[in-house]
Amino acid sequence: MSWVGRSAPRREDAQFLAGRGRFVADLGDAGALHAVFVRSTQPSAALLGVDVSLARARPGVVGVYTGADLAGDAGPLPTLHEPHPGFAAATRFHMVDPALPCLAVDEVLYVGQPLAVVLAHNRHLAEDAAELVDVRYADRAAVTDATEALADSSPVVHERLGGNEAGRIGFALGDVDAARAGAHLVVTETYRMGRHGAVPLECRGVFASVDHRRDRVEVWTSTQIPHLVRDALCRVTGWATDDVRVAAPDVGGGFGTKANVYPEEIIVPVLARRLGLPVSWVEDRAEHFLAAAQGRDQVHHTRLAVDAAGRILSWEDDFVVDLGAGSLWTAGILANTAVHLLGPYRMTNVRVHGRAAFTNKTVVAQYRGAGRPEACFALERGLDHAARELGLSQEEIRRRNLLTAADLPHRVGLPYRDGVPIELDGGDYLACFEACLDALPRAELTRLRAEHPELAVGYGVANYLEATGRGPYETGRARLGAGGRFAVAAGSASAGQGHQTTLAQVAADALGVDPAEVDVVNGDTDAVADGIGTFASRSAVLAGNAVDQACRELVGRAEGLAAQVLGLSEVRLRAGVFKAAHTGTAAAGTLTWAELAATLAPRGALADEPPLDVTVRYRPPTVTWTMGAHAAVVGVDRETGLCRVLHYVVAHEGGTEINPMIVHGQIVGGVAQGIGGALLEEFRYSADGQPLTGSLADYLLPETTDMPPVRVVARHTPTAANPLGVRGAGESGTIAVYAAVAAAVEDAVGAHLTATPITPALVWRAASREPVSGRAG
Amino acid sequence: MKPAPFEYLRADSVADALAALAEHEDAKVLAGGQSLLTLMNLRLARPSMLVDIGGLAELDRVFSDSDDVLIGALVRHRRVETDPELRALVPLAAAAAAHIGHVGIRNRGTLGGTLAHADPAAELPLVMVTLGATCYLESRADGVRAVPAEQFFLSYYTSALRPDELLTWVRVPRSRAGQGWGFVELARRHGDFAMAGAAALVSLDSFGRVYEVRAGLMSAGETPLLVSGPDGVVGEVAAARRWDELAAGWTAGLEFSEDPEYARALARVALRRALTEAATRAAAP
Repeated sequence: MSWVGRSAPRREDAQFLAGRGRFVADLGDAGALHAVFVRSTQPSAALLGVDVSLARARPGVVGVYTGADLAGDAGPLPTLHEPHPGFAAATRFHMVDPALPCLAVDEVLYVGQPLAVVLAHNRHLAEDAAELVDVRYADRAAVTDATEALADSSPVVHERLGGNEAGRIGFALGDVDAARAGAHLVVTETYRMGRHGAVPLECRGVFASVDHRRDRVEVWTSTQIPHLVRDALCRVTGWATDDVRVAAPDVGGGFGTKANVYPEEIIVPVLARRLGLPVSWVEDRAEHFLAAAQGRDQVHHTRLAVDAAGRILSWEDDFVVDLGAGSLWTAGILANTAVHLLGPYRMTNVRVHGRAAFTNKTVVAQYRGAGRPEACFALERGLDHAARELGLSQEEIRRRNLLTAADLPHRVGLPYRDGVPIELDGGDYLACFEACLDALPRAELTRLRAEHPELAVGYGVANYLEATGRGPYETGRARLGAGGRFAVAAGSASAGQGHQTTLAQVAADALGVDPAEVDVVNGDTDAVADGIGTFASRSAVLAGNAVDQACRELVGRAEGLAAQVLGLSEVRLRAGVFKAAHTGTAAAGTLTWAELAATLAPRGALADEPPLDVTVRYRPPTVTWTMGAHAAVVGVDRETGLCRVLHYVVAHEGGTEINPMIVHGQIVGGVAQGIGGALLEEFRYSADGQPLTGSLADYLLPETTDMPPVRVVARHTPTAANPLGVRGAGESGTIAVYAAVAAAVEDAVGAHLTATPITPALVWRAASREPVSGRAG
Repeated sequence: MKPAPFEYLRADSVADALAALAEHEDAKVLAGGQSLLTLMNLRLARPSMLVDIGGLAELDRVFSDSDDVLIGALVRHRRVETDPELRALVPLAAAAAAHIGHVGIRNRGTLGGTLAHADPAAELPLVMVTLGATCYLESRADGVRAVPAEQFFLSYYTSALRPDELLTWVRVPRSRAGQGWGFVELARRHGDFAMAGAAALVSLDSFGRVYEVRAGLMSAGETPLLVSGPDGVVGEVAAARRWDELAAGWTAGLEFSEDPEYARALARVALRRALTEAATRAAAP
């Protein structure tokens, strides 16, 4: 029986549950210096002066450095992703590099932007000194709304750029105008998704020290992408790759905000190298709310045309993304949003146009879904709008448009971000949707209404489609150790996803051994020299297949060596033992992995052979697509507008599941984050750019009491796109929650909801304004 | 999020604490630390001296040998919420305490601390105003003085407590036969600061007629507000609709700074629900 497909207990949990995890804050010794960053208090200003003299004179302070002091040591942060030229040409893609400096030098663009750094013997002393840094600002007008930012009259965030447009994208399929002209119904609407983000349990943090013997800087950072951090660090400092090691220790959640490169990840190693001393920076929650990358914050202007039966004739969306002062992922967010507007439906006439804008708000990165939830919200809400006008149920309009087994695989007529034409490789999207409805039948709704007579109870559904497993590649490494154990490594980094467990399961199958014999190391540039990281639902696909490929190549080489030892022409690994390839070979012996390891050891029979150590780059042909359906039941207190999600179901076309329990956990956790974004979470700013959500008392995360029971229906649909047949699932739980919850609240109160978060005041107004309509279906 | 430098004194007795408060002008009393330490870590509060009364076991006691219950300032919210004796004597306080933050916060937060903090969105200040409790304030200079809860709260985070005074005890009338209580809090999540909240006490005579109503609101002004007026329902057998009319009347004149239309609607709903709960409990055999 294979290990892939088993709900093996997570290997990493024992250490976490016993408090033996090693996070950034656990590293370093009493001798480490503590860094505290001085951050802008102004949303937009010229920096007239940064006087650090009082701070430098404080006891316990080792150094205070301004942007001007360090500008020569580190250039601006580099963009992390550019789309394939084929995609850029097909979508008229264009973007602007905001070139954000590590420390502000002559201007500040958002509250929280780092502009100086204090090093002291402990964090307390460093904070005492940091408040003595005297910063003189000349305030400029700020802009906090992306649509306003794109108007000619707007203040300009980056004066150097002369305007606020950060990027644009657009494409058209079919003949939208002709299709719309013949439509039975055209609905237009503006949908908004508020700014919110990952807010992981562990904030960010960096620890850097110098290995003087090797003249090398070792950097531990709470990141999802150590290799990209290493590459960016070398690029902005001019250091050679061999001058730096970057590793992720245990990471307490990332969700995209840690799939980014930050000024602190550059400045802390720069100071460690400059002083030759270890330097630690551990972000506190107050800083996290100001300076960690945020997400979403989009507005979509949509127009959906349907025929009398509710079949989609044309779909148009003109959207704006608010990037704050900038993003290293402008291309990813714009492209993800645009591509995922197509949804899992039959759609031939589409026109999409999107722009990204700079504003005087905190920087943005990819947050779980990264454009997909926003696109899903616009399309699914649009379908509900059309259904209402036609007198159809939410379910029926979707049934009439979903791609079925007969339609799949489906060519969309557009290249993906990697330049390869999009071909949806799903099984049967309509069947997946029906499976979701079966798991949350109307009878359940009746029961919940009886159970909660004080609430108006509504029902909502939404479908999503997500490209997963984006390349270009991931590195995998497999090595046979001297004692017969295996070391497996990948360029991915685990932020809690359980890679120790799942990559060992993959390796165990390929090597014919028990996972207990496989040690997994990842998230370390010393383990594999090159890699990409963990984000975009890619690690199971990319790192999983990279490890599989490395292990299979290792087996191939091992079989050749075993043949030498056994004196056979051809040997095969069967159930973990090397045997003659052809049964009936006379007097054939066998060899175990441990015995093979012994022959490779000094004084062994194969001592002159190079060690069994294989590194591969797995390159998928293109992405693979995961489709799923969500159904939510929400109870609304009409008198107060307070909403409670009472029940939730996700059905998804996952591929082969390496560890179904871990996939289930991913989905449930994703639903929790979706409920947070749909009902609770928002980074709010005053009109003049001051952040209004400075703590967990203002920024409301979903708690256990906000979570309904979640049922997950896995429709295993292996893909032919990679050898393991896996599809990504990391974002599947989150993407459609916004639309499903909004649809359920709408069903309860009878008013069209067009924005998230769906606050109690919004629901109360909707409930008081509109009479309760008959529930369709 | 580290506090500015401060001195720290752990008091061995109430007298010890009062002496420290008398001698240090901007000293602050540390009890459960659930509000003060957060403010200090954000450097929004910068006391030069912290007087830690956490070791004063004498203030962690409850006396219930009269018609009133005397509760020490160091009694934790979790005890108010779960202690069978206190639940029976002051059920309104027990119900309200369950809404304070989370269990970890209630394990540390104290009655004296939340009253001295005087947050108009806090539960127990509203309960004390609704119950008609009395706060005892002690200083080295003037000894003990008694201040009714209704006069104790002056404004946002401002009470009648002088800088040299320590709140030591609270006297609370015990629950009586024929009296029902109601407590309703409307919050985004359980444990959050209230968007609106109401506490109510309704007493009925043996004919089911109302003879006393006290009701108050949190998050509806600068202090917890007692809103029940003399124009009430005394002498009536009140139906559900009557409580809604009263709630509407008692919230009509309130002033709210943010989204007043919605805030008033929430206050009215909370008050009506609390009054209805209280009346229902009072009528129960």
